Amino acid sequence: MGEPTWKDAGMGRFNVRPYIFIAPALIYLGVWIFYPILNALVLSFFDSPTGRSRDYFWVGLGNYAKLFQDDLFLKSLYHNIIWVLLSIALPVVLGLLLAVLLAGRGRTRLMYASIYFIPQTVAAVCAAIVWRWIYDPSIGPLNWLLETIGLTGRPWLADESIVLIAVNMIGSWSYYGFCVLIFMAGLQNISPELYDAAKIDGAGALQQFFYVTIPLLRNAIVFVLVYTIIGSMKFFDLIFVATNGGPNEASTVVGLRIYWHSMREGRFNYAATMSTILTVVILALSVVVIRQIVTEDEED
Amino acid sequence: MADMGSPKKKRSYHSSRLIQSAIIHLILLLFVFIALFPIYLMFNAALKTSRELFQSFLTLPTDPQWQNFGFILNEQGYKGALYNSMILSTSSMILTTVISVLAGYGFAIYRFVGKQWLFLLVLTGLMVSETSVLIPVYQLLQDLGLLNTYGGMILPQAALGLTFGVFLMTTFFKDIPRALIDAAVVDGGSDLQVLRYVIMPLARPAIMSLALIEFMWAWNSFFFPLVIATKQWLMPMSVRIIDFMGRFTFRYDMIAATTVILFTPILVLYLITQRSFHRGITFGALKD
Repeated sequence: MGEPTWKDAGMGRFNVRPYIFIAPALIYLGVWIFYPILNALVLSFFDSPTGRSRDYFWVGLGNYAKLFQDDLFLKSLYHNIIWVLLSIALPVVLGLLLAVLLAGRGRTRLMYASIYFIPQTVAAVCAAIVWRWIYDPSIGPLNWLLETIGLTGRPWLADESIVLIAVNMIGSWSYYGFCVLIFMAGLQNISPELYDAAKIDGAGALQQFFYVTIPLLRNAIVFVLVYTIIGSMKFFDLIFVATNGGPNEASTVVGLRIYWHSMREGRFNYAATMSTILTVVILALSVVVIRQIVTEDEED
Repeated sequence: MADMGSPKKKRSYHSSRLIQSAIIHLILLLFVFIALFPIYLMFNAALKTSRELFQSFLTLPTDPQWQNFGFILNEQGYKGALYNSMILSTSSMILTTVISVLAGYGFAIYRFVGKQWLFLLVLTGLMVSETSVLIPVYQLLQDLGLLNTYGGMILPQAALGLTFGVFLMTTFFKDIPRALIDAAVVDGGSDLQVLRYVIMPLARPAIMSLALIEFMWAWNSFFFPLVIATKQWLMPMSVRIIDFMGRFTFRYDMIAATTVILFTPILVLYLITQRSFHRGITFGALKD
């Protein structure tokens, strides 16, 4: 082939053309994503005399100090973390197992994956509405089903001790198909010869799973974990419609607090402080996961 | 194959394989049931009268109430909400796809100073949520006089899918054989000609995937429309449903019918174009 003649702008003379092509995206993201992120940070150092007013005055870290004494905020952040863990424990692990079970299953594999993915196309709002009915203690299908087989039903969304898990089930229901799809695509890249080699070395099914499948799925696993963390930290729609944080704030999350303080109370600076914390937490968690797994990679 | 010798041993090997395979099938089917059952309940509830639904939610409707949908769309004025959803999703899909294709071309085809950094900058957008940017976006729209306008609803929504779009397009365009592009450049093709006549035809499936996914996201979106479109005439279906729930509490037949109206277009789109959806969603995850 010889020396590639592909468009090379950096080395010789300055070429403005690539910048023209990426400019719309950068400007667009700048206006609607990056500027707002920085602006939220700036707003978090100010406060205003009354709700919705923009006569800001400097309070330094005052909002942060208030935030860390705000039990409701800490509770909501804690719920987000629980949500991350539940989402990893349920749909992600389940997605991995189903993908492994589907591996090497020819055409039907795609059919299964397509069906598992359908709940992911249901709007969170719809899912929440339908499941509110399914969970309804008096006329909902779930309790009817449980009572038919001799168990006792519960007021799923009205019971403080289980509401978060009950809502997470809705999220898991719509999410596991997504995980199956990603892991299945990842498994396709693993050459069957590796399993043959492992079998010859006397590895059982479990050993094959832990010593061949998991390490080779690393990219897919990192992707799903990071995606799950981000999604779990920022989710709003599902919980807003399913419980609106209740009962007694037992299912409140940071997104709901931000919405409440800004849109209902007009305390924009306080809400912006929460936004900033949320951004930092998402970034930190993502970096931790990526670095953890990349370091393991280097140790191999 | 070591146990070929004794026929007895062979049979037990065989039957344990059979049991194992049956268990796997059961598990796989169980999750088919879990995925589809709530959706069955939703469609079923939408087609029953309130009384029949109260008697049983499992059996198929004896007299399907198709007029539920007409009642919601016409008499309750939800036709407008459906129209608003259409405007919102189509516009934000077009905006995101066009900008992503352009940026993908720039990132994939050229080498230039600061490329890695700029690409990384775009990627950090993946970690940003609506709730993180809500207040500045809201104030910006207020200053521009865009609250309660179509523009105000569409512009920030398109930004949310843009990072994914740029990422997907860049990774896809990088896979296009370099020789094809070189040939076009040697023949004197301009950037736009290369994009139009070389890249676009080859990347059509990828662009399709992106457009479909962006359409779905915008159709199902809730948070920005909830905050930005507070006037009823502007609300998309996803937001109007909430208001409907408030007025028809316990009329689960009617509430289910609204969810069916919101969900069906996406379901049909997905069933027709599954492969495109799957390609778009898995591609990004597995490249580097």
